[in-house]
Amino acid sequence: MMARDPDDRNPASKPRETEETDTTMATAQLEDELITTEVETGSTERAGRPDETVVATTGLTVHYGDDQALWDVDIEIPVHKVTAIIGPSGCGKSTFLRSINRMNDQIDGCRIGGELHFHGKNVYDEDVDPVALRRKIGMVFQKPNPFPKSIYDNVAYGLRVQGKDDEVDLDAAVEDALRGAALWDEVKDKLDESGLELSGGQQQRLCIARTIATDPEVLLMDEPTSALDPVAASKIEDLIDELVEEYTVVIVTHNMQQAARISDKTAVFLNGGELVEFDRTATIFENPADDRVEDYITGKFG
Amino acid sequence: MARQEYRRRLDKLRTDVCAMADLVLDRYDDALEAYETGNEELAQTVIEGDHDINEQYLDLEGNCVELLALQQPVAGDLRFIASSFKIVTDIERIGDLATNLAGYGVEDAEPLLPLEDVRDIGETAGTMVEDAIAVYETGKAEGTWEIAARDDDLDEACQNASERIVRELIANDPSTLTDTEIEVRLADVSRTLLLIRDIERVGDHAVNICARTLYMAENDDGLIY
Repeated sequence: MMARDPDDRNPASKPRETEETDTTMATAQLEDELITTEVETGSTERAGRPDETVVATTGLTVHYGDDQALWDVDIEIPVHKVTAIIGPSGCGKSTFLRSINRMNDQIDGCRIGGELHFHGKNVYDEDVDPVALRRKIGMVFQKPNPFPKSIYDNVAYGLRVQGKDDEVDLDAAVEDALRGAALWDEVKDKLDESGLELSGGQQQRLCIARTIATDPEVLLMDEPTSALDPVAASKIEDLIDELVEEYTVVIVTHNMQQAARISDKTAVFLNGGELVEFDRTATIFENPADDRVEDYITGKFG
Repeated sequence: MARQEYRRRLDKLRTDVCAMADLVLDRYDDALEAYETGNEELAQTVIEGDHDINEQYLDLEGNCVELLALQQPVAGDLRFIASSFKIVTDIERIGDLATNLAGYGVEDAEPLLPLEDVRDIGETAGTMVEDAIAVYETGKAEGTWEIAARDDDLDEACQNASERIVRELIANDPSTLTDTEIEVRLADVSRTLLLIRDIERVGDHAVNICARTLYMAENDDGLIY
C-alpha cells in the first residue's frame, strides 16, 4: 500500500540475459579487484550462479570485546533495490551496516564471526583488501562530512587517490557524479568553492557524489537525512530513488516513515542485535509476521 | 508503553464507532416498531434523528483522516483505522435505511406483508449488525465468517417475501378495481418491495462490517468483494 511493489522497479530496463552476463563478468572482475594476493579457491561455482543477491550473510556475528552486538544474522540483500534497516537504538543496525564494507575493522576489540558474501566472495577472507572493498561498497554518513576542499576536489578525490586521474576525463567524471547526486545544477558555476560553503543538504549530496565518483556497486547510508531539514531530506529521498537504478542502496534510518516511503525491503533489528524480520517493506508495514515487529513499528515499545 | 496519546485516540475511535453503531441500531429498532405500530411520532423521531448520525459519521471520518495524517499508523493500527473508516460508512448507510423504514410505516396504510414476517427479517438483519459490531469491538476475527454466512438465509427470506407479494399482485384481477384503487395498490406494492430490499441491504452492511473486521484482525481479505 505504501511502497511500490519491488518487482515493479526499473521494469525491464535491461534484458535479463545481458544482466546475467554482466553479473558474471562483474564477479570475475570483482575477484581481481578485491583480492590483492593469490586466490586460493576457484570461483566457477559462484560465477555460474544467476543471483540477484549482491550481499548475503550467513550466521554473521559481531562482538565488541565481551559484548555481542549482532547475533547470527542471515540476510540476502537484493541488487538494485533499496533495503532499509530499522530498529531501536542499540539494536545493531549500524553495526550491521558497517560490517558490510568492513568499517568495523577499525574498531579495537571488534570480532566478526560467520560469513558476509559480496557477489559470493566472503569479504572477511584474508585475501580481501578492505580498501578495495570500500571502493565497491561506499558509505555515506549521518553528518555530511565533505573535505575542506573545493567542490571539484571533493568529488575528484577518490579517483585521484586511485591514480585514475590520468586514465579518465576527470572533468567529465566529476560532472557525472554531481549529476548523479542531483547537485550539478546547483554547483556547476562554483566548482572551485569550498564544499563546506554548501548547505547541509547540498553537503550530503556532495558526499554522495564523492562516493559514487569511484563507481561503487553498493551504497551504504547511515541515517543520511537525520541531520537535515525536511526539504533537504526529501531531496535525498528522491535521489535514493534514482540511485537504485545504478546502485544497490542499504540505508539505516531511525525514521520509520522514511523506510516505508523509500525502501523495497525492510530489515527489523531488535533485542540488541537480532534480525527479527526481513521482508517486502509493504508487508512489514501492513502485516508484519512477528509480534515484536508489530509492537515496535506501531510504537508499543521502543 | 510509548505513544500513549496515540493509543488513547485509537481506543477512543473504537469506542466512538461502537457508540455510533449502538445509536443507529436503536434507531433501526424504532423504525421497525414505527412501521409495525404505525406510530407516526416515533417514525418522525427516527427521520429527524438522521441528521445527528450524519454528523457523527463525518466526525469519525475526520478523526480517521487526522490519525492517518498525524500519526502515520502502520500494521495492525493502520488496518484498524482503514477498517473503521469503511465501517462508519456502513453504519451511516444503515441509519439512512432506518429512516426509509420509518417513512414506509408512515405512508403504509395497508401492509401487504404480515407484520410478523417484517419483524422476522428485520430482526435477523439487525442482529447481524449488532453481532458484527460486537466482533469489531473485540478487535478479533472470531465470528465474522459465521455472521456473514447468515446473510444467505436473510437473502432467501427477503427473496421469498418479495415473490409472495408479486404473486398476490398477479393473482388479483385488476378489472375488479377502480383506477384509484389500482394506484393505491401499486404504491403499496412498491413500498413493500422497497422495505424488503432495504432490510436485505442492512444485512449486506453487516457483512461489510464483518469483512473489514476480518481484514483488520488478520489481514485477511477473504470476505471483501
